[in-house]
Amino acid sequence: MKTSESSLEIRTGSADIWRQVLARAIPQLYGLFIRRGVHAALAEELTQKTVFDAVRRRDTYDAGKGTPEQWLFAIANNNLALEMRNRQTHARPDTDLLKYLEVIDSQPLPDEMLQRKETARLVQTALLQLDSKEQQVLKSKYLQDQSALQIGRAMKMSEKAVHSLLYRARVALRNKLTQLAPQFREEQQI
Amino acid sequence: MKKHSEQFEKNISRLVKITGQSQIPSENFTSGLIDEALKEIQTGQPGRQKRSLVMKNTKRFITVAACLLIAAGIFNLLTPSLSKIKKSPAVQQTVARNGNQSVAVDARLEPKKPTPRRPAQESVLSYYSYQAASPGSVQTIGGLGLACEGTPKMAHGGTTPPNGEPVDAMFFRNYGVNPFVDTEDDPLSTFAIDVDSGSYTMCRSYLQQGNLPPRDAVRVEEFVNYFDYGYPAPQNDTFAVFVEAMPWQFGAERKNAHLMRIGLKALEIPDEARKPAILTFVIDVSGSMAREGRLGLVKQSLELLVSKLRPQDKIGIAVYGSQGKEVLPHTGLNDKPRILRAIRSLESEGSTNAEEGIRIGYDMAEEAFVTGYINRVILCSDGVANVGATGPDQIMRIIKDKADKGITLSALGFGMGNYNDVLMEQLGNKGNGYYAYIDTLEQAGRLFGNLTGALQVVARDVKVQVDFNPDVVRSYRLIGYENRDVADVDFRNDVVDGGEIGAGHSTTALYELKLRPDAAGDIATTYVRYKDADTFAVTEFSTAFETSQITGDFESVSDSFALASVVTEFAEILRESYWAKGASPADTLDRARRLSRFAEKDPDVTELIDLIDKAAGLISRQEIQQETLKPADLEYQTR
Repeated sequence: MKTSESSLEIRTGSADIWRQVLARAIPQLYGLFIRRGVHAALAEELTQKTVFDAVRRRDTYDAGKGTPEQWLFAIANNNLALEMRNRQTHARPDTDLLKYLEVIDSQPLPDEMLQRKETARLVQTALLQLDSKEQQVLKSKYLQDQSALQIGRAMKMSEKAVHSLLYRARVALRNKLTQLAPQFREEQQI
Repeated sequence: MKKHSEQFEKNISRLVKITGQSQIPSENFTSGLIDEALKEIQTGQPGRQKRSLVMKNTKRFITVAACLLIAAGIFNLLTPSLSKIKKSPAVQQTVARNGNQSVAVDARLEPKKPTPRRPAQESVLSYYSYQAASPGSVQTIGGLGLACEGTPKMAHGGTTPPNGEPVDAMFFRNYGVNPFVDTEDDPLSTFAIDVDSGSYTMCRSYLQQGNLPPRDAVRVEEFVNYFDYGYPAPQNDTFAVFVEAMPWQFGAERKNAHLMRIGLKALEIPDEARKPAILTFVIDVSGSMAREGRLGLVKQSLELLVSKLRPQDKIGIAVYGSQGKEVLPHTGLNDKPRILRAIRSLESEGSTNAEEGIRIGYDMAEEAFVTGYINRVILCSDGVANVGATGPDQIMRIIKDKADKGITLSALGFGMGNYNDVLMEQLGNKGNGYYAYIDTLEQAGRLFGNLTGALQVVARDVKVQVDFNPDVVRSYRLIGYENRDVADVDFRNDVVDGGEIGAGHSTTALYELKLRPDAAGDIATTYVRYKDADTFAVTEFSTAFETSQITGDFESVSDSFALASVVTEFAEILRESYWAKGASPADTLDRARRLSRFAEKDPDVTELIDLIDKAAGLISRQEIQQETLKPADLEYQTR
């Protein structure tokens, strides 16, 4: 594809070209954020932001300066830098999950806490101790991003039942975390 | 209240997401994001986005907050308040035991089921903006051309795998565990090399899902060969050989044991010097491939492969469901859009007429055959064949016959649940190619990262024979390679199959040795015999190893040997090897963590450490006792 053609196709929003570019770039962008130490949820957010930034600024793309992937990566790096800068301008939050479990219904969990390996270990342990269906529904929903319809088909239940199960699973996870968190905190202090 | 539960759900979502191990997003996330982006391009309306990371527009923020408050008020009026539920008597949790599982019942939720949220339109872009469930919305699955066959079914019916297995209908074979061999009785150990790595990626999937893999799924050599040990490539020869040994303390009763590693590294070929490739994809599109998005992953993996090929390369596609058929005649890479359209058009249907599909694929490959090129069939399947010749023997005969004529086959396995590892591995062996298991697009990227190595063979029928010195070595055992055994007398029988190795690839074998006390001198001579990939000329060379070359301990050996020893221990523990009796997963984990100097440069090692950690936790939970063996572990392979 000629440089002028690829610029034009990106700028005019050719669906085929955008689909190809994004299919290649999205896993790479996500991987970039993960390798830079960002946790999975934030990596997804940054990936989304990068994609939509590119879509909204597509009339600025110039193939003479680089491939669409390079352009997306430049946007991604800027978004990452902005995110890091934002963190530095805010006070460092407490990273003790136990304290946040008390207000988990009403306050967002800080990224600094989600970033910690101890938090991931705690959540993993809590997940493993849940009922198998609760585990499965949480993993299908949040790790595989499956819809209630897809989950329902896999687990042979209605969408309504999936939503119910999800609700119970979230509560069960919170309760399990509340139960395990003090023990993990003690281990860290040792 | 709506805002209250929304925050809770967001927090839970983020907590669960941080437990994900993958460096690539889920297929649903990717396809959903693509759809939303394209929608925005087409309609000009802003797409869904999880959250605004930089709140630039205060007015927009205030507007959104106001809407949420209003919605919360309406929600409060129409449904039971969550605060009422919260103020109800303290949660009483009853715990029932169901086998090994405890089922926690939240009594608070029992009397009143919460009203599920039913947003207007469902999107796979997760919970934030989220999940509008519009009945019948199939979004990305439909958009990618995959026909959902309905509920993925367990191979044996029902919703729960039988016998307490974490995954249903996985087929593995137990090839036994090599015994110690008295060197005076039999000083020769002969085997065909193996570059497959499917067993490691399969077992990794099990562990990442929180389950120990079945012990029959573990092939030690495939664990070991998954990793890159950084062997330097030969400059002028086809192979370079690396031998190293160290004292080894593994298991409760080890005395005077040593671990010896033999590594082979094949000649590297620059990518620009790779021969042109005539590739025939034979793709299983049967109903079982609709499970867990297997066909979607196949398509993504093949698109990734296509992106790395050159204009001189050609691709043809055959598929098989209830019937086999040609989907795309061999087409040059200068017409990439046509190839990609063909890949994206694939849909799953019917049963699995593997024999017909493979025959059609080979017919296409023969028609497109060019002497001097790489002529390869790439089979993508979950290995479950239930129509046609039904058994694997007929398919094996076809594949062996074609391999002898220069059309090799590589088997790429996809799927967890209703998957035939036995068949897929045998297909790769018979086809003079390799077997790889692909669980993520990242794994596909890893496989095709060295495309020249994946496609261009530099040596055929490679066999290794190690001749141990009985004056120094009292006994030895080959760790792994149980299904790669070659009779000692057939080492120089060039009709007998060995293994194939691609450009730049390496293969490693490990032996446990019991040396005679105070013995010194030659330990073993390693012979390597192979055929040139183009001329079929036979070459044999050898290298000797002595006691003076034994390294002091784990801390002083090369990083790569230290890594290989940890991987070997890990695999031995997972397959419940008799020789892992008394071994502690915690000790292996400790040694793995001491690889950290290596880990910083190699994400595979970081991942390995995590997997060992997971396995150690699962094993301690199951309280596996290594002191008492089950009868099946005593089936030694006889020579």
